[in-house]
Amino acid sequence: MHTVVCVFVEYFILLLTVRILSRRPGAQLTPFEFVIVFLVGGVVILATVGDDRSMTNCFCGIIAVALLHRTVADLRLRFPRFGAFVDGTPLVLIDQGKWQDETMNRMRLQDVDVMASARTKGIKSLEEIEYAVLERNGAISVIKRKEN
Amino acid sequence: MAASSENTSVGDSVPKINDDLAVGSDLEFQRRWWKFENVTWWLFAVIVLMDILGCFGRGPLANAKVQTPDGTMKIKYERIERLSTPSLITIEFGGSAIKDEKLQLLVSESLVKRLGNQRVVPQPAVSRLGDSKIMYTFPANRLPASVQFSLEPSEVGISHLTLQVPGADEAKLTIFVMP
Repeated sequence: MHTVVCVFVEYFILLLTVRILSRRPGAQLTPFEFVIVFLVGGVVILATVGDDRSMTNCFCGIIAVALLHRTVADLRLRFPRFGAFVDGTPLVLIDQGKWQDETMNRMRLQDVDVMASARTKGIKSLEEIEYAVLERNGAISVIKRKEN
Repeated sequence: MAASSENTSVGDSVPKINDDLAVGSDLEFQRRWWKFENVTWWLFAVIVLMDILGCFGRGPLANAKVQTPDGTMKIKYERIERLSTPSLITIEFGGSAIKDEKLQLLVSESLVKRLGNQRVVPQPAVSRLGDSKIMYTFPANRLPASVQFSLEPSEVGISHLTLQVPGADEAKLTIFVMP
């Protein structure tokens, strides 16, 4: 009972915290962000499990997380606004070769982050980029400028 | 749950920018989200500050001292406790607490039932139950003397605890246990 209640409460606290923390928890995990994943996980597990180390508690905890995750995924599909709340929306970082300063600054991104993504597509400089989009999963998609 | 998602048709609904690239960005929503983010960060900062100060227990504001009007007991305790988290109540005796080489202390049952008393140091020679109270008797010959209760609260919410040396003034403590 304690574990299941903890799972429900902590799932949403963690979801909110990770959601406002950064757009890049999984896509471009730097050591700086790696620390947060481990530290938060370690802190949450202590309160969730408490002093009950039984297999029953472990099993109930796992299926509670799975059920909650499935429910949130379903709500996300049914209510697009909820989906935007949970996942965010893609954000344009470069629009027709122009930096979108507001988005870059608010998302705490630097040009080097975009260029790192661009290099993986064989793009050598900013002039070659038509669009750059910060995706919901934190990855940066880069679209190459069409050659005339 | 599965049936509803299986019946939803998938179409080309992703809005384009410049009539060119299908992104589905929503900058207005994002601007509202950034405002929400700012408020949440301030809220988080306030929560951390309150935690450091001890508003949720285990800090300077949570620690409390109380003395009975006749000076029989000085009690150090935490007015805000946390569920299943160890803490101490220390009672220093003064005045005429010792009678016939015995020190007696009458405490309410909430000490055990709600606040989860784990240990009494020193161990009492006699513990007697009755009338929703517990009477501890310690062999003692000279003041100052002190007794310590190790707690591990088992119930969330407000707990009222009374402590009294028989015949002397009573101390009433109100302790809030955080989840």
